Amino acid sequence: MTVSPRHVAPTLVDAVRALAQDGLNAGERGFVFVRPDGTERLVAFRDMAALAARRGASLRALGLERGDRVALVIGDGEQFVLSLLAAQFAGLVPVPMFPQMSPKNVDAYHAAAAHIVRASGAAVVLTTEANRSFVAPIGEHVAVRRGVVAIEALGEGHGAVDERISPDDLALIQFTSGSTSSPKGVAVTHANLAANAEAFMIHGLRRDPAVDKGVSWLPLFHDMGLIGFVVGPLFTNVPCVLLPAASFVRAPSLWLEKIHRHRGTITYAPTFAYALVAKRLKDDDVASLDLTCLRVAGCGAEPIRARVLREFARRLAPSGFDARALLPSYGMAEATLAVTFMPLQSGMQTDPVDLGALGSGAATPLDGGVEVVDCGRAFPEHAIAIVDDDGRRLSDRRVGQIVFRGPSVTQGYYGQPELTSATFKAIAGDAPGDAPWLHTGDLGYTVGEHLFVCGRAKDLIIVRGRNYYPSDIEWAVGEGSKIRRGNVVAFSVAVDDRGRVVATPGGEEQLVLCCEGVAAEARAIQESVSATVADRFGLAVREVVVVPPATLPRTSSGKPRRRETRQLYLDGALSRTDRASTMDVASAEPSR
Amino acid sequence: MPAMMTTPKVDEARPTREMLLAMFRETASEVVEKNFGEVAESTVISELTIDSLGILEVIGSLERRLRIQIPDESLSNIRTVRDLLDEVERRIG
Repeated sequence: MTVSPRHVAPTLVDAVRALAQDGLNAGERGFVFVRPDGTERLVAFRDMAALAARRGASLRALGLERGDRVALVIGDGEQFVLSLLAAQFAGLVPVPMFPQMSPKNVDAYHAAAAHIVRASGAAVVLTTEANRSFVAPIGEHVAVRRGVVAIEALGEGHGAVDERISPDDLALIQFTSGSTSSPKGVAVTHANLAANAEAFMIHGLRRDPAVDKGVSWLPLFHDMGLIGFVVGPLFTNVPCVLLPAASFVRAPSLWLEKIHRHRGTITYAPTFAYALVAKRLKDDDVASLDLTCLRVAGCGAEPIRARVLREFARRLAPSGFDARALLPSYGMAEATLAVTFMPLQSGMQTDPVDLGALGSGAATPLDGGVEVVDCGRAFPEHAIAIVDDDGRRLSDRRVGQIVFRGPSVTQGYYGQPELTSATFKAIAGDAPGDAPWLHTGDLGYTVGEHLFVCGRAKDLIIVRGRNYYPSDIEWAVGEGSKIRRGNVVAFSVAVDDRGRVVATPGGEEQLVLCCEGVAAEARAIQESVSATVADRFGLAVREVVVVPPATLPRTSSGKPRRRETRQLYLDGALSRTDRASTMDVASAEPSR
Repeated sequence: MPAMMTTPKVDEARPTREMLLAMFRETASEVVEKNFGEVAESTVISELTIDSLGILEVIGSLERRLRIQIPDESLSNIRTVRDLLDEVERRIG
């Protein structure tokens, strides 16, 4: 299905060129980049195309050809955005990568980064002078044709590029939830970017270029920050204030302070950020804020927790924050970004259902039942459906896999045709030649046009918006501790605000590991496994459970069964050598 | 830095090394709600039961209390609590 966007330019390059011509942008409108030291710098919309075309020429002068991939490891927001646009102006394909920003897992970083460089076949790794010495070791893990280059060393005097970019050209490769050893790069075309930008900025947010201003601290190498607060706003002429993610984590109140000072109208964050702010903000901080300007406070990227958003709204009410601004949504990199949005000004709505029935695939309404958050509707030209394991459509209130179709659906995983055809495929009843459906791997149900997300079909572990594969964690434990690979199972459990394990879907997730070992070594096993996971993934383990040798549930081929082990853990039914088996399962979260 | 973020004050013009270590333990306990009383200067930060965002929260809290700023580039060279406190002392000047 090729549907031309109706309200935005056909490519991001055209969109950025158009910004320079728009009369609205004669003055000081554009992206304000907040630096780690708190100073701010404006890059005006009217200047952006010229800056990108010049840097694009410098990139091509490195000996790069059209279609070459350029890995971007750039922590500075301004330099990241200009380099991304420069690559696109030059007909190159930017590959955003995460810069190291914490003194944890430094060693694992280079290996993980090298996997991404290899998978994308990047011809050059572009970074900044300040980061160059740290980034350079990536080049020791993988061959990079033009090496690791600092932006400052690109030089001037190469003129400006003037390439014709078509909607079907690859616009970027977004690396996402793949496992560390086999990262998945989502291939996104300019047509995908245009379709999704139109969907969420125009149909979803009804943006007004004369009024709206986005404020975001979301990392720019991640789809939510990049598509949501760089690509979407550039297509639709909306100024933004962009702060470094590290600054937000170090000082969470900075986020709301910037919304207040810049009179931001639109912001977005995963659930954990709303929880962090509600927890850290002091009453004096709240009193000094005026958030009456904020009309959209979006939430997505990880399971949405109703209680957290409610607490945030309650806590921020004295600042004039309107709870109707809360906008739950659903999306993923494979869909460019946005899949469904709640209608504007409807706030967070939940559907209380029977938890027992949910487990067997039915979302049966129940007063006081488990609350599942309404994630809203698909956009015009796009569709969602719920299917069973055989790809047959399910009716309302039946739980199955969420599938998505429309012009925002990307081209699949770069260089991985098998994985792509396993994920982007037909469902029962499709006619030959119909566009494939993105199979999201998430579980949900519909009520009318609205989508309710209630879990995952795959064994992914999501902690604070970051995805981890249990197989990666099990592998690392097998390498780095006293446990043999194959004798360990990793899974996540949901916990409530007091840290108790809950059966409710969509709680904050914590990691549990289950290992086989003898009682005498239980303590040593627990310590070495926790240390390995902390070191390799920067993750704190909730609990390392040690069970007697050969007691983990296994498949016929001898692999431990994760889901069964998890269920035994939740039921308190594991025979433990580390201590008496006691479980602290809180009752399901009651509705309002 | 915005005024609203600088409420906690350090009275001492120049805190001693012991005070800095105590401050680290206290801040970490606030962020993760666990006891970090056993943390020493030689403790490797990767081995603490704090995730990578948590450690940034701790650093941010130290920055606010001491009114200093540690640049991101310096963070990737920090392995132990000693390295972090060295960096903090350097910034206090």
